[in-house]
Amino acid sequence: MLGKLISCVIVPGAAVLLPACSGIMGGIYDDPLEETVAGYGFVEASDGVRPGSIYIDATDYTRWTYIDFSAMRIDTLHVSDPTPAEWDIAIHRYDVKTNGGSACATGATGFDSPLLTPGDMSPDVWTTQTIVTDMSTMMDGYLSYVESWYSPVVSQWLDVDKSTMPPVYTLSGKVYVVRTADGRHVALRLADYMNTAGVKGYMTIEYLYPFHP
Amino acid sequence: MRATAITICAACACTAAAQTASLTDAQLDSLERAWARELNTVVVTGTRTPKLLKDSPILTRVISEADIRKADATNISDLLQTELPGIEFSYSMNQQVNLNMQGFGGNSVLFLVDGERLAGETLDNVDYNRLNLAGAGRIEIVKGGASALYGSNAVGGVVNIISSESADPWRLNLNARYGAHNEQRYGAALSLNRGRVSSSTTAQFHHIDSYDMDGPGDYTRFYGGYNWSVKERLTWTPVDRLKLIARAGYYFRQRNAQAASRDRYRDLSAGLRGIYTFSPASDLELCYGFDEYDKSDYLRLSGRDVRKYSNVQNSLRAIFNHTFGGRHILTAGADVMHDYLQSYQFADGGVKEQTTADVLAQFDMNFTDRLNIIAGGRYDYFSEAGMQHLSARLSTKYTLGRVNLRGCYSGGFRAPTLKEMYMDFDMAGIFMIYGNPELKPESSHNFQLSAEYTRNLLNFNVGGFCNLVDNRITTAWNQALGGQMYTNIGRVNIAGLDANLSWRHRCGAGTRLSYIYTHEHVRHGEPYTASTRPHTATMRFDYTRRWGGYGLTAALSGRVLSAVTVDEYTSLTDYSDTEKVHYPAYTMWKLNVSQTVLQGLTVTLSVDNLFNYVPKYYYNNSPTTNGITFAAGVSVDIEEFFKKK
Repeated sequence: MLGKLISCVIVPGAAVLLPACSGIMGGIYDDPLEETVAGYGFVEASDGVRPGSIYIDATDYTRWTYIDFSAMRIDTLHVSDPTPAEWDIAIHRYDVKTNGGSACATGATGFDSPLLTPGDMSPDVWTTQTIVTDMSTMMDGYLSYVESWYSPVVSQWLDVDKSTMPPVYTLSGKVYVVRTADGRHVALRLADYMNTAGVKGYMTIEYLYPFHP
Repeated sequence: MRATAITICAACACTAAAQTASLTDAQLDSLERAWARELNTVVVTGTRTPKLLKDSPILTRVISEADIRKADATNISDLLQTELPGIEFSYSMNQQVNLNMQGFGGNSVLFLVDGERLAGETLDNVDYNRLNLAGAGRIEIVKGGASALYGSNAVGGVVNIISSESADPWRLNLNARYGAHNEQRYGAALSLNRGRVSSSTTAQFHHIDSYDMDGPGDYTRFYGGYNWSVKERLTWTPVDRLKLIARAGYYFRQRNAQAASRDRYRDLSAGLRGIYTFSPASDLELCYGFDEYDKSDYLRLSGRDVRKYSNVQNSLRAIFNHTFGGRHILTAGADVMHDYLQSYQFADGGVKEQTTADVLAQFDMNFTDRLNIIAGGRYDYFSEAGMQHLSARLSTKYTLGRVNLRGCYSGGFRAPTLKEMYMDFDMAGIFMIYGNPELKPESSHNFQLSAEYTRNLLNFNVGGFCNLVDNRITTAWNQALGGQMYTNIGRVNIAGLDANLSWRHRCGAGTRLSYIYTHEHVRHGEPYTASTRPHTATMRFDYTRRWGGYGLTAALSGRVLSAVTVDEYTSLTDYSDTEKVHYPAYTMWKLNVSQTVLQGLTVTLSVDNLFNYVPKYYYNNSPTTNGITFAAGVSVDIEEFFKKK
């Protein structure tokens, strides 16, 4: 009886009396930008002098995002799918691989830096326990991986320290140089790994192509 | 309530005068007067009406303003750990602070500021950094269930931070403190009294750098950051019978856990309280409170500050007191609260709301000067869960010479929160955490017996407690859902012993020793998953003296926590098996030396972790220390410079 009285009289009355129910600080925050599929891809093209930028959704553990700098083409495919005919690098979460190329880190943190000179180039390595495709099996005591080529050099663009929960993410800020199998060069830097809502796995990559070392 | 307060204060003055007269035949020095004031502190938390500490049937621990100064603490967690045994603040995931108070977690201990609830929580704990001690007059701690007065969450105890009040025409205190890891604290407090209007304004800023721990552990780096807050309380007494109190406060904290983002926490609170005195025997208090606690991520690369959590509480309260025959007090009241929660832990960052309402009554019966009995009950209703709960309490105090005997039964409960009912959170792709709308309220039956002996400058109390907790709410692995889900678990029994000794000598030396034994009982064959340390003690030895214009206060305070071995679910399997984990004992000591070198100017030097304890492994419940540290502070009471010598 008392419960009915409260629910029928006091609760609606309180709702009328209390106008600030949803708070009054909302105006001081930024709203996340609305994202559309059209927003992904080559956002700004590089002409080899000025850097461009690429924005991709790499949140899915089961997909590689393939980037072809010559054709400015991006394909996102399942890890079990055959690779595209033409591509230069591919990204899975924060992991990177090249298409038979090699890579090095530079001392530069910007594309106009005099330190932007390639050093010793390292080829990809074959990995069996790096590319995680399913985190949910962690509760069963293991992680699911897919075998793949992997560039340990470029993948250092983001350090993920998993010794604590949640992991601590640290961007290297460095510019990396990738030499493709046919001898072209691209300089690239991971500028951000989150979208405007703070969701991780959305990668903003700045690049310079063609890059002439 | 004001009339009651006036009566009590007058009684305090008379009682204090009578006591002090019996203490010595000679004139009492200021130290003894201060001690007498401590014994006759008026407390409100245990009964919601003003009552002398020594007369309250609810055993209440008070941390006075002087104790707060001696502890040199920045926020409530620093202070409680220093002053009270049985309290441990540790880290949970993401280095969020987690309370354990004699076997009860942060969501089972109700924190209040001037009797008002706080919005917002992180991993079941309020933001303890928000509870800084700027402007705090005293802290009242009532252990055991108190839901008959305060409703949900008062399962294991109530901690009430009460603002200081000044009768001086004006006071202005400025203070600063600098310590290890670039720790900086700056504070200001201004109080004004002009006729029927008074104002109290406080502000505090605190900063500390991040730093690495000197060894391996569950955490290897302390996340630094800064916070600041400002609070205003304005009191207007337009007529003798009516007192109006308006308050407002803002709090901001930033934590540096990630390089590319900053964790931000904000709180905006305000309220208006009116107290009308019908007669010396009757008064009515009406109160409106607003509290909004937000969390956001500041994305440094994009410069965007994106909110991910907002808890807004609006509350209305009415409390009526009437004194019968000059000694029996009836308290009756009702609250209505609207709770709004938007959270990243709900599906699509959604919103959930609920309204809670309650009625309460309490009768404080003083049959003789020796016997006091309080009986009370409270009925709570929660709209979203469609849940009702009735809480009861019966307390009694009998005075036998210098001994006070207290006995208390109190009921406690905690309603499932909106988070616990509706969570739908993907834990980094590893597993989901699901809420459970079918949760039952957590409830407890708390029994306490204690004896208190007071003679001149000595106070000793010893007591036993037993808590029978049913339907404790926690998360458990749900095989069908393939994730964690909030659920009720079976009965947990927590029992123990509590002993406290306070003593002060006329020479200025004093000590306070406190010890608690806590035992959490689990059924035979079940894992012991509680992390409550069975033996804990706190100690303080202090010395206060004035020589003309020079004053000295030295306080050595320490805490001792015993080892505990617990069973923890291991990630090596699917969290169905346990492994033994041993948390070592440790002790921490702090030395504060405050010198008043000029009238109104006090310099404080502190040595923390005096015996240079460094954990071999930093468990989440290890102290965040790399060894001994030093700090220095200065406090200036500006009004003292204008007082005639």
